[in-house]
Amino acid sequence: MNFDKPITRRELLRQLLKASGCLALAGAATWSSGPARSALASAAPSGFMVEAVGESAGYDIRQLTRKTFEAAGGISNFISKGDIVVIKPNISWARRPEMAASTNPYVLQAVIELCQEAGAKKVRIADNTIHDARRCFALTGAGMVAKNTGADLVFPRSSLMRRMKLQGNRLDIWPVFVPLVEADKVINLPVAKHHSLSTLTLGMKNWIGAVGGRRNKLHQDIHLTIVDLAQFFNPTLTLIDAIRIMTRNGPSGGSTTDVAAKNTLLLSNDPVAADARAALFFGRKPERIGFIKLGQKWGLGTSDFGQLTQHKVVL
Amino acid sequence: MKIRYLVWLRRMCQALLLCFFLYLLVVSRLPQDIYLNYSLAFSTEQDLRLEQPVTFFFQLDPLVGLTSLLSGRVLIKGFLWGAGVLLATMLFGRIFCSFLCPMGTIQHAVGSAKPALKGSRMVRANRKTAGQRIKYFVLFVLLAGCLLGLNAAGWLDPIALLFRSVALAVLPASGAGLRSFFDALATSDIKILNTLSYAGEVLVAPVFGYTHQAYQTGWIIGIIFLVILFLNRIRPRFWCRTLCPLGALLGIFSRFSILKLEKYPEKCTNCNLCTRHCQGAASPQPGEQWETAECLTCFNCQNVCPEDALAFKFNWGFKPNRQPDIGKRALLGGLLAGISLPFLARLDGQVDKISDSRLIRPPGALPEKKFLELCQRCGLCMKVCPTNVINPTLAEAGMGGFWTPHLIMTQGYCEYTCTLCGSVCPTGAISDIGVKEKISQPIKIGSAYVDRGRCLPWSGNAPCIVCQEVCPTSPKAIYLKNDVTTDGAGKTLAVQLPYVNLQNCIGCGICENKCPVLGLPAIRTIAAGESRSLRNQILL
Repeated sequence: MNFDKPITRRELLRQLLKASGCLALAGAATWSSGPARSALASAAPSGFMVEAVGESAGYDIRQLTRKTFEAAGGISNFISKGDIVVIKPNISWARRPEMAASTNPYVLQAVIELCQEAGAKKVRIADNTIHDARRCFALTGAGMVAKNTGADLVFPRSSLMRRMKLQGNRLDIWPVFVPLVEADKVINLPVAKHHSLSTLTLGMKNWIGAVGGRRNKLHQDIHLTIVDLAQFFNPTLTLIDAIRIMTRNGPSGGSTTDVAAKNTLLLSNDPVAADARAALFFGRKPERIGFIKLGQKWGLGTSDFGQLTQHKVVL
Repeated sequence: MKIRYLVWLRRMCQALLLCFFLYLLVVSRLPQDIYLNYSLAFSTEQDLRLEQPVTFFFQLDPLVGLTSLLSGRVLIKGFLWGAGVLLATMLFGRIFCSFLCPMGTIQHAVGSAKPALKGSRMVRANRKTAGQRIKYFVLFVLLAGCLLGLNAAGWLDPIALLFRSVALAVLPASGAGLRSFFDALATSDIKILNTLSYAGEVLVAPVFGYTHQAYQTGWIIGIIFLVILFLNRIRPRFWCRTLCPLGALLGIFSRFSILKLEKYPEKCTNCNLCTRHCQGAASPQPGEQWETAECLTCFNCQNVCPEDALAFKFNWGFKPNRQPDIGKRALLGGLLAGISLPFLARLDGQVDKISDSRLIRPPGALPEKKFLELCQRCGLCMKVCPTNVINPTLAEAGMGGFWTPHLIMTQGYCEYTCTLCGSVCPTGAISDIGVKEKISQPIKIGSAYVDRGRCLPWSGNAPCIVCQEVCPTSPKAIYLKNDVTTDGAGKTLAVQLPYVNLQNCIGCGICENKCPVLGLPAIRTIAAGESRSLRNQILL
């Protein structure tokens, strides 16, 4: 029977009963992720960027994902044994994967498998969806990925939104989706899409799906809020899914004519550089996009991605 | 079979069927672990559907099938179940009422758990009264109304009534109670209580979900249900004896039942035990004539009789039973009222003249006239809707459409690729469309318009594009025009002004739902433009 095993229940229960500390106060949570970030910084002191392109017909997307991480020195450079890893895909719209409104399920699956192979204690998928979460999980393929990999697909709900101090320039206190701050490592896994207000939605914009509250208010100052959120969440890695990109009618799309195949994955530890590189897929100048400009200004990364160590993977 | 076993068999059936009913009711929603095979999703359109036969009890209910046949001239899916119940009734009497009906089981349980009446007062309460004719009156009103195009059976059909009451009142109210309990635990300073709160929320989520479910007029539905339960204190199974139109229908069909109550007056000691335990007030006592149409065939009378003065026996001799005590007044009054009802219901002009802007029907709903012929007002579409947008009407559909479904966009919105409501509608008042049909036709349920005085960019208050961002159609029905305006302080403000292209708008209401202008959003949805109506159109 269906209600016997919802995706998150057993996992969550075990988690809760074993260590209620994981639901500790926000301060404790940010404290625990602090050292993790500095450890990463020492492992990979300089920025890097991997651009992986699937050129051969019928290439395996999961293989491409694996190769991408290999080029960056292997997943174990970033994920340690026993880590709680949270992956933030963009699965906000209840659309089939071919519409490119959501992160490609094959990429998502490959990343989860890599984390598990690196010895992650727990891998969670967390996104505060716009459409009904059940329908998003089902249609985007995230539900099946969670089932196949055993990852914990966290159901977004009001009790998992906690008001936290973001220390941003525009946003001070805002409800945050708790799993994303109670993690050792966070991987940002957006899909590259057109967006009517912020021009594009890439890695940094993806953090709007990591907060709760009346998010529609954020659009009144979109670029500043994007950068505020990006500096707050500051992921270990950003992997931009540009296998299929949505070139217009974004961010929801709804037709395959809005979609272009780029067959590319971008992996970087510099969120601004990843976004800047991805902007080129749309023929946009990175320096003319507000949140990329602001991200560079506030030292979240560099929009001049040429400065980063470059790796190229072709499959 | 020993009568004792038969009574226990009845109790088992009742418990099982009630549990099955409640199970189907609870699972009338998208499960949290539902998923689609995404490798298939690249090649084919898949619709999210429920696995369980959630309409089963509506198929089993012959009144649903009969009223749909009379008013809409359609045979509903699974009507043979209902036909089977009618056939069984012709052979064995009202066994549906005593063995199968979940509504009857609840009345039975409430009436017998702790009876309000004792001894001779109970005997008196169980004597047949003229009031029991009311149910025939109700039945004739409903059937005559159906013939003339208003299917109001759902107001009083026991299955629809029970489903509506539990799904729209009992369940959400208990959910709200549980949530406030968990919230109280979560705000406590004691950590173990916080943990319990989270665990509890996850545990009850498969039944109550994670969000607050709201249903307009749900409190009326709840109060009516409580009153019906309370009436059992006055007479056991008051609802079944006095009001239930399905009971009346089955009573009429039991006329030729071959299962008959044989009475042996010579053994009777007038102890009245049979009457005291009679569920249907069907005069079981020897010396009185057995009222077949009132008898629920619960077998209590035979079971409690210490002298074996009563026995249910099969009698193959073709001899009609005592005819149902309908009464001329119930018959004529019922027919007259039933004939008047559909026309009275049209006096408010909702079908013929006015189109209420708030009457946004679910996607796939039939044209209004046809819709009112089939809708059972059971609330299944409202229960199943993942965004909680479908609500029972109060006055939006006029008197004849009371409690039919309509969409309230401030509460939810119609998801572009969701067609779940049509897939569970027991009578097809909302047709079972697929995603492909919904999108490609497209099926419009209304249209949106911008209230420029309230809109943030239009009123020079702030840039905002939320309505355009969430618009699900491709190309988007809401488009933006760049403009420069001045804000209150006289500063120039670059804004994008939203416009609605009515040609593309399907009226899904997500723009209204997500609009940051709370309370009365700056973009709203009205029913005009709905593709099911020829009349209710804006564009040429």
